[in-house]
Amino acid sequence: MNEKELYKALMTEIIQKQSVILGPQIAILKARNVSVITINDNGHVVDIKEDPRTALQSLVDEYVKLSGQIVKNALGSIFIKYPQVEGIQ
Amino acid sequence: MQNALVTIIAACSILIGAYSYWKSKKLSRDIVASETELKSRMYELSILKELGDKIGYSLNVQKIVDVITGSLNQFIDYSTVSYMLVDPAKIVFKADLQSSVSRQFVDDIKNRMRDSLSALLDKKLDTIPVEEALTGAMLKESNEPVRSFFNIPLVIGGNVVGVLTVAHIKPGLYHEEEMTILYKIVNQASQAVTQLEEVVKTEEGKLNAMVESMGDGIVMTDKDYRVAVVNPAAKFIIGLPNKNDVTIFDFIDHLEGKFDIRGKLEESITLGKIFSADEVAIGGGFFQILVAPVKGSHGTIKGETVAGVVIFHDVTKERQVEKMRDQFTSMIVHELRSPLGNMKKIGEIMKEESIRQDKKAYNEYVQMFSQSSSDMLDIVNDLLDVAKLEAGKFEVSKRKANIKEIIEDRIKFFDTTSRSAKIELAPVFGREIPEDILIDPLRISQVLGNLISNAIKFSRPGGRVFVQAFMHRNGQDLEREAAEAGISWFKDIENKLPNDYADTLVIAITDTGEGISKENRSKLFNKFEQFGSGNRADKPKGTGLGLVIVKGIIEAHGGTIGVVSEEGIGSTFYFTIKI
Repeated sequence: MNEKELYKALMTEIIQKQSVILGPQIAILKARNVSVITINDNGHVVDIKEDPRTALQSLVDEYVKLSGQIVKNALGSIFIKYPQVEGIQ
Repeated sequence: MQNALVTIIAACSILIGAYSYWKSKKLSRDIVASETELKSRMYELSILKELGDKIGYSLNVQKIVDVITGSLNQFIDYSTVSYMLVDPAKIVFKADLQSSVSRQFVDDIKNRMRDSLSALLDKKLDTIPVEEALTGAMLKESNEPVRSFFNIPLVIGGNVVGVLTVAHIKPGLYHEEEMTILYKIVNQASQAVTQLEEVVKTEEGKLNAMVESMGDGIVMTDKDYRVAVVNPAAKFIIGLPNKNDVTIFDFIDHLEGKFDIRGKLEESITLGKIFSADEVAIGGGFFQILVAPVKGSHGTIKGETVAGVVIFHDVTKERQVEKMRDQFTSMIVHELRSPLGNMKKIGEIMKEESIRQDKKAYNEYVQMFSQSSSDMLDIVNDLLDVAKLEAGKFEVSKRKANIKEIIEDRIKFFDTTSRSAKIELAPVFGREIPEDILIDPLRISQVLGNLISNAIKFSRPGGRVFVQAFMHRNGQDLEREAAEAGISWFKDIENKLPNDYADTLVIAITDTGEGISKENRSKLFNKFEQFGSGNRADKPKGTGLGLVIVKGIIEAHGGTIGVVSEEGIGSTFYFTIKI
């Protein structure tokens, strides 16, 4: 899996988890605020237009801005599955 | 040419007109956007204000969420608004049905909320029982599923405590903007509670630290007599200093037959009264016990008794002092009665004609009368001196005086007494003792008289008493200086004599008497404490005020006084006078 695909899979997992936590409607709406990624109606990231790491950071920031640091903490188990991806701030 | 000019002007006019139109449109759009943002902000603020007014300073999360869910129908359309709170033992699920929905709809919401919490907490919650409460509209048979919903996590102090969910049977109902506003509102409410909790925690911490460090024993119970607060002093009083979960039964057991703690707490809580027991003997001590109701100071519990508190105040020392004071008073009365009784008897005898005729006998009785009145005056003077010392009004009149002469004079005074007691009494002077030093010669003479008199009294025939003086230079080894001056000195192994006195004259009265035990040494200069001096049947008696006054005189000279002793061998009383 190349880097872009890796980030797409990771971000898709994040959106899926946030869909469980916050509900799919708001989770996808917030993810769509990150202009450099394209998301389909199922919450899958289908394209990343720019630097994937910046895109990942923007995605996480969107959720933190909405409901605080606690939603970021809930992503720990996902990041463990992607050791190639450095921790986000 | 003219046509071309007209065309250019027309084109310019059109361009300017178009630009102006575009500019005014943009301005209009900006104003509308600004107004929308302002309205949105005002909307947020009005919601927050309304919620703030209803929540007040509550720390009850469920109450706060109830207020939020109860107010939401003014701001957003929904079929149900529900919350789920996690407790270690159970999950509380409460849903308010704005319109009738099916059981399946409610269960679906409940499952989604539990999944949300499970994802947030990263643990399974399936096994924890759910306590459900539904309010609002009735459930109905329906196939309408959940088509729109969003969850808002409830976080207090960085910990997930629950989730709030808004749901509807209609699809695509909620827009990002209104959902975001609700997230903001809930987040701000959570932050307010977190801050309030921190303040309360800080204040609780201060209060707990204060209660923990208090010398009085404190135990507080709720209305069902469950111990809510117990400090180390209270646990110590009931003999359970290391027990963690102290209950009211521990107090009941330990105080059985001494104090009915359960009964008094019950009376205090139900009747709102304060009870006090003055002197309860517990574990070798005496305690004043106060039982009082604890009343709520604000909110719905204001004025209501919410708990009971028991305070154990240790009065053991006060009782000991009281006892010592009583003993002291009895002793002084006894000491005064003796010479007074003598004087009365002598007076009666002297009234007899036969005695008045017998000149020799009459003079003897006059002498005896004078001695008794002198003894009594000594006691009264001692009492007055002690009273002045205690009031801080004791003063000495310093003038230049020859200390060697004062010592020799005192030795001469006690010469007859020491000879009859078969005790050697002699002075020992070190080198470089100044001729004249600034002292109150009468008071120093009184000090020497007291110490020499005691030394003789407590020595056996054949013993020796030395009145010694030597110079100490600041920083020098006091004991070495004493040895060089040929001074007999008892060594205190545990407490070495300090060498940091300023340049001083040290006067030490050493005897070969009974010595004084370590325990008794600490009582020597205490007004109320007297101690037995060995097993001698003829042990000297007195008010015991002499050493108290001696200490006061030396301290009034800026000096210090002390004693070193070895039981069965002898003692050295020493004092210093600054040069």
